[in-house]
Parts: sequence; structure tokens; C-alpha cells
Amino acid sequence: MSSVGLIARDEWRALLRNRAGLLASGLLVLLVLVASFTSLERRVAIEADRERYQASVDEQFDQQPDRHPHRMVHYGQFVFRPIAPLAFFDTGVDSYTGNTIFLEGHRQNSANFAEARQSSLLMRFGQLTPAFVLQTLAPLLLIFLGFASISRERERGTLRLMAAQGVAARQVMQGKLLAHGVIALVIGLPAFLVLGGFAATGAASWAAVLPMIGGYAAWLLLWAVLGVILSAVLRRSRDVLAVLIGLWMVGVILLPRALPVAAEARTQLDTNIETEIALHREVAEIGDSHDPDDPYFNDFRQRVLDEYGVESVEDLPVQYAGLVSIEGERLTTGIYADAAERSRAREDAQNALVHDFSLISPLIAIRQLSMTLAGSDLAAHYDFLQQTEAFRYDFVQRLNRMQAELIPGIGGEDPRISAEYWQDIPRFHYQAPSPFDRPSDLIWPAAVLLGWLAALSVLAVWASRRLERNLR
Amino acid sequence: MSPLRAEARLLLRSGRNLFAVILLLMLTSAAVWSGLVQMDAQRATIERVEREQTRDLAAVEAAQAGPKGEAGYNAYYAFMLTQDPPPALAFAAIGQRDLQPFVLRIRALGLEAQRYDSENYNAELALPGVFDWAFVLIYLAPLVIIALTHDMVTAEREAGRLRLLLSLPGSGLWRRRTGLRYALVLAALALPLITGAIIAGAPVAGTFGIMLAAALYCAFWFGLALLIGAALRASATAAAAMIGCWIVPTLVIPTLGNAAIAGAIPAGKGIDLTLAQREVVHKGWDIPKEETFEPFFVNHPEWRGKEEFEGRFHWKWYYAMHQVGDETVAQDVADYRGALTARDKWTSRLGLILPGVGTMNVMHRLADTDSTAGFAYQDSIAAYHERLRKFYYPYMFNDKAFTRADFAQIPRYTSRVPGGSLPAGSLVALLLAAALFLWLGARKVTRVSSARDSRPKDD
Repeated sequence: MSSVGLIARDEWRALLRNRAGLLASGLLVLLVLVASFTSLERRVAIEADRERYQASVDEQFDQQPDRHPHRMVHYGQFVFRPIAPLAFFDTGVDSYTGNTIFLEGHRQNSANFAEARQSSLLMRFGQLTPAFVLQTLAPLLLIFLGFASISRERERGTLRLMAAQGVAARQVMQGKLLAHGVIALVIGLPAFLVLGGFAATGAASWAAVLPMIGGYAAWLLLWAVLGVILSAVLRRSRDVLAVLIGLWMVGVILLPRALPVAAEARTQLDTNIETEIALHREVAEIGDSHDPDDPYFNDFRQRVLDEYGVESVEDLPVQYAGLVSIEGERLTTGIYADAAERSRAREDAQNALVHDFSLISPLIAIRQLSMTLAGSDLAAHYDFLQQTEAFRYDFVQRLNRMQAELIPGIGGEDPRISAEYWQDIPRFHYQAPSPFDRPSDLIWPAAVLLGWLAALSVLAVWASRRLERNLR
Repeated sequence: MSPLRAEARLLLRSGRNLFAVILLLMLTSAAVWSGLVQMDAQRATIERVEREQTRDLAAVEAAQAGPKGEAGYNAYYAFMLTQDPPPALAFAAIGQRDLQPFVLRIRALGLEAQRYDSENYNAELALPGVFDWAFVLIYLAPLVIIALTHDMVTAEREAGRLRLLLSLPGSGLWRRRTGLRYALVLAALALPLITGAIIAGAPVAGTFGIMLAAALYCAFWFGLALLIGAALRASATAAAAMIGCWIVPTLVIPTLGNAAIAGAIPAGKGIDLTLAQREVVHKGWDIPKEETFEPFFVNHPEWRGKEEFEGRFHWKWYYAMHQVGDETVAQDVADYRGALTARDKWTSRLGLILPGVGTMNVMHRLADTDSTAGFAYQDSIAAYHERLRKFYYPYMFNDKAFTRADFAQIPRYTSRVPGGSLPAGSLVALLLAAALFLWLGARKVTRVSSARDSRPKDD
């Protein structure tokens, strides 16, 4: 066996004798399994709940009696966001975004009942998912297992002994890297098996699972390699431990919390209230359909009359008020879309600032990669909002057209159209977005993780040269 | 030179210790500054919204109120602002204020379709949790304490000085060393906090309460650090063991607890009540008017006899219908609140055994930024909603014109008085934990002094 292999084997043996290390590793594996199990169970429950709710509100919509279509515009439709299959592995921002929206005419309601708003402060400690265990806790375990890998040999004098026996520092370094790299992958293995099993049953696609496994493998390797390098560079084990814990603290805990403050200070979001008020003002500026002298709506009326080739509103074959509703919905929806776009651009600017720091704190990279592949990232939430908004516009306009076209034929004081028409109104069918729709959300974090690994490899070469010099 | 001063010089001469204390001071200052900035931003947002709101209301007044004005239209178009400005101490413990709306507009329509609306926040920024003084205390201060104390005993042993130190006359060596470190950590935590409290004009009692909780929490960690530091032989092992002790109660158990609480206490009633309320309100259009007025009169008997009107529509019926919608789901509303309160209660219980969670509970209760504060804001919105609709009813049921003078009389929301309080139970639990671990740690350290020899043993 090569000396690299021997050194690695020796390291594994030493770690197997370390009872605290074994216990911690066992606990971590247990935690991954518990997290997978509870999170999977939770996902199934949420999915069932939302399916049940969606089915029941869809049925209720069908069961509404004969009505004026405008009443149905305000009866509206509730939509529930189905949960992505891999969201059990990484809940991402899912708990922080609302998962149900009430859709009605000329209003854009907020997505409500986010889990975070229904939880106590305890939730801010983190959510138990395999992603949390791998992102936050596993690096700590790797630090504990690896911090003394080379410094221990130095402190005991065995490093010199090896050098005297003709083992090059490079080989020591490679052996330790091999040992701890394998350990990192072994620690990730239970989670990878869960992911693989999930993909094997067809519940998630391999296309999402494999890069996820790759990303986490890179993330774990990164910590193992970092630990070995620092253990080679610093003189005392406890200094290695202090520096590694410090790096973990800053990169995994501190920066992710502190950066949002900077992002929020630089780019502020408008409140929904301001958006609402601005919308009303903009609509009022366009025109007032009730004002007989309003230029915009006079123009609109003239266009309608020309289109139907009639002289007055009374001669129209359709209900004019219905056409005004269609026009009004078109106008408000456009303004809402602009506001949503502005808001989204600001949130993107905020998040971009945080993402830039993934160069310093690769946690941000693995978090983004993982959320995106799991379909629980902010972009997936936006996609849901866009789908609901498109759906809302469509069904509201269908009802408005029913009003314009059917009401004139009914007349009377309380004109209602048959409940059968509600069947013609489409129901919301969510199209889960593919994480590969936005390649930059995947390429950048992947590049950052690989870049870190590459940089650490260079550092490892430098560290082994330095070790060599020091041993001579 | 007094022994204490000598110890202080010894302590600060070590680059690592000095670095740890200065780092803590810097982090605490940054956190206080960040908390102040975030709370100022919330105040600025409230002011901005209030300005917009004034313009909006003026437009509604111009369009709707007047000699021929109808209360129904005014009530429909006049959204009224409620706001929950940050309490003075919120800068130290922001809690859920980044997620829970602190401005919400309400009108006299059904409350249950309005009160759960969310405000705009960036979910990805909210995900890691807030950066404030409470975070530095609960997560980071223990690590600084570990850095300062893990080798207090072992370093002497490793340097071969332990036997000599123990044989010196005089007592209180470990007490001096621990006390000194404790005082430094507390100072690094307290100075920025007190500065922030003065800037924010925070109440003295609340600031003192938060500092007391912090002092107990730190005492607990010092006790634990003494216990482990004296029990283990090598500095590196001691440090590793202490960090292990930090991970489990700050990272592992809270997430397990949260998962268990969320699983055991579902909060689906919020959606149920929203759906049920919609059905009732919209069914109102398809049933005889008496079927709406009768349940309405149960809680509003003063309007009985005034329900008659001609035609298909009258505002009094419309608003009665919305109110009946709210009242029909009252049980669901209570259940929903019950579930959220139960989640909070179990968090408090977990805090009785986990000092980190306990400290978090105490501080956010004192700062009035926890779930209880959120419930109080919700309740004040509900009370205001009642005032609002009851203000409009006389105009509608008596068919009275809604003039500009009446518009000026529309009740305005007054922000609730911040209700920070001291949760005695959690504080006592914290005190007991601190006392227990200090005692255990002290006992262990004394045993080191009297019995064990200082033969270095590698492990």
C-alpha cells in the first residue's frame, strides 16, 4: 500500500478510537434521518392539506347558485401553492412565504398564512431539515474530526518521525486529505441515500437530485479540506480549532444574518399599502368611468360604439358596464404588474448583494443551489405569484365578458346568469417551474463552490510545501 | 499590586483573550447599531405610510363625503391605518417584527378577510433570522465565554504551573479569574446595550431586566465552562467538548422542538376560517334579508326594527352581512388563536429547560416583540374594527347623510401601549440553571485545587 493510503488508513483508525467523534458522527447521522423523516412527513401532510383545500374550494365554486357574474368576480377563487417534492429536503423560503392567495377582481391580495407568522420565535433558531443539518451542523462535525489531523502528529512528534522514515510532507497532506475527504462524503452519505431513494421512486428527478448531491458533496469536502490545511499550517491544535470555529461562526451564522441588514439599508421595499394607494391614484389619473365628461372613458366609449357600429350605449348588443369592467381590469392589472415588477427588482437587488458575498461565505452558495434545486427558492415563489396573477386576470375577464355578453339578454332588476356557466371558468392548475429555467441561479453557486474547492487545492499544495520546509 | 489587578493584566496580556473580548464588544456594538437602524427604518416606513394615507383619505373624503354622502360608500373606500411602532427596546430584541406586519389598513368590511394579510418583506432576507443584540447574546456570547475559559485550568496544567499555583497561599484564585472574565463579558455586552437604550429612550426597568437575563445566561455558561474545563485534561479537548455543549442546546434541540411543536399543534384553522367567512358573506346575497339581519341583531339588538328598506340593496344590510360573516367564524377564530397561543406556550415551556430559549423568551417579552406582542396588535385591530363599524351603523340604519364633518369624526386607530412584561417563571428557571451550573462548576474547580495532582497526561 502506498504511504498516502497508509496514512489515510491510520487516520481512520485513530478516528475510530475517538469515542466522542464516533458518538457525534452517529448523532449527526441520526439527526439527518430524523430530519428526513419528520420533514418528509410534514411535506406529505402539507401536500395533502393543500390538495384537499384546493379541491374543496374548486367544488364550492361550482356549487355557487345563479348569480350576476360580477358577484363571482368578488366571490373569487382561492389558490393553494402545491409544495415541491424536494422541499422536504430543503424547505427554503417556503415557510416564510404565504402559500394561499385569494384571487378576485381588481385587487391583488397578499399570499397569506406563512408558517413563520404562525410560529413562535423558536422557528428563528432554524428548521429541522436535512439541508439544515448538512449546511449548519455537518461542517462543525467535520471541524471536530479534522482540526487535529496534522497538528496532533506535530504535537506528538510523530510528524518528524514520519519525515525521518522518508515520508514526504506532501504524502502526509494527501493521506490526511484523502482520509477526511472520504469522511466528509461518508457523513453526507445518509442524506445522499435519502435523496437517491427519493429519485429512484420517481418522486423527484435525477436531474435535480444529482446536482444537489454534488453541491453538498462539494460543501462538505470544502470543510474537510479547510480543516486539514489549517491543521497543517497552524502550530497548535487548539489554534486550529479556534480559527475553524471562528470561520464557521462568521461564514455560517454571522454573515447570513448580518448581510440582510446591509441589503435592506441599501434598497428599501415599498409596503403593500403604498402600492395600493399609488394604484388608486394612478387609476384615478387615467380616468373616472362614472364621470360623463371624462376624456379617457369618452374616448373608450367612442371606440366601443365605432366597433359595434352603433350611435349610443343603449344600442349596444352588449352591456357597456361589462366592457368598462373589462377595460378597468386591464388597466389595474397593468399597474399591479408594474408594481410587482418594481418590488421584485428591489428584492432581487437585495438578494444579489447577499449572493455576492457567497465568495466569502460559501454557505450562501450552497443554500441558493439547494433551494433552487429543491424548488423552494424565492424565484419559485415568484413563479407561483405570476401564475396566480395570470390565472386571476383570465378568470376575472371571462366573468366580465359573461357580464357584457349575457346580462343584456336577461335584464330585470336582479339579473343573474345560470350557475352552469361557473363550470366554464377554469380552475387553477399549478405548473411547477423547473429549476433549470433560471440557469444563473444554479451556475453561480456551483461555480462559487467549485472555485472554493479549487482555491483550497492550491492552498493545500502551498501548505504541504510549507510543512515540508518546516520539517527539514 | 492587588491579586485582582494582577489577574487582569495576565488575562489581557494574552492576545487571544483580548481579541475575544474586543470582538464581542464590536459584535455587540454592531448588533445594537443594526437593531437601531432596523427599528428606525420601521418608524420611517410608518411615517411614509401615514403621509400617503393622509393623502388617500383626503381623496376619499373629497369624492365621497358631503351633503349627499353615504356612510356606506365612505366606509367602503376609507381604509383606515393601524400601526404598531417598534417599542423602545425592540432594537435589542427584534423578534418577529421583521415578519409580522406593523402597518395594516382596515375598513368596516369583514375583519377576518383583512386581518391576516401580510406585508411586503423579502423572504430570503428573513430566512436566516434577524441580526440584533439578542442574537449576539444567545449565539455568540457563549462562544466568547468558551474562548476565555476553556483553558483556565488546563493551560496551567499544560504549562506545568498548576501544582505551583495551587500550593500558593491565599484563596479565591479561580473565583478571581472567573469573576474577572465574567465582568469583562458582561461589560462588553452591557455598554453597547445601555448606549442603545439611551439613544432609543428605552425604559430603565426593561433595560435592566434584559441585562439581568443576559447576566444569568452568561453565568450559566461560565458555570458549564468551569465544569467542563476542570473535568478535562487537555485544552483542545475541553474546547471541543464545550462547543459540543453549545451546539446541542442552541442549534439542535430548538429545531427539534420547533418541528415537534409545529407537528403536534396544527394551525390550519386560519385557512378554514377565511374560507368559511367567504361562504357566509357571499351566501348573504342569495338568501332573504331577514336571515342576515336576525343573527346580526343577536349582538346588535339596538338596530332591531330599523332593518326595512326598499329595493335590493342597502348598505346597512351589506355591512350587517359582513359582520355576520365574522361572527359565524368566531369559534374558528378562537381556535386559530388558541393554536398559535399553544405553540407559544410550549416554546415557553421549552425555555424552562433550555437557557438559550428561556433567555430568548424573557428578552423578547421584555422588549414586547414576541408572539404575545403580535397577538396584542391583532386584538387592538379587532377592537378598533368594532369601533369603526359601530361608528358607521347609526348613519346607515338612520339613513343619515355622511358629510365632511362626519368624515372628520371617523375614529382613528391609536397605537397600543407597548406591553413589555417580565416573565417571572422563565427568569426563575434561568436563575436556577445559572445557580446550579455555577455551583457544579465551582465544586469541580475546588476539587482540582485540593485533590488532583498536575501530572500532565496526554489525551
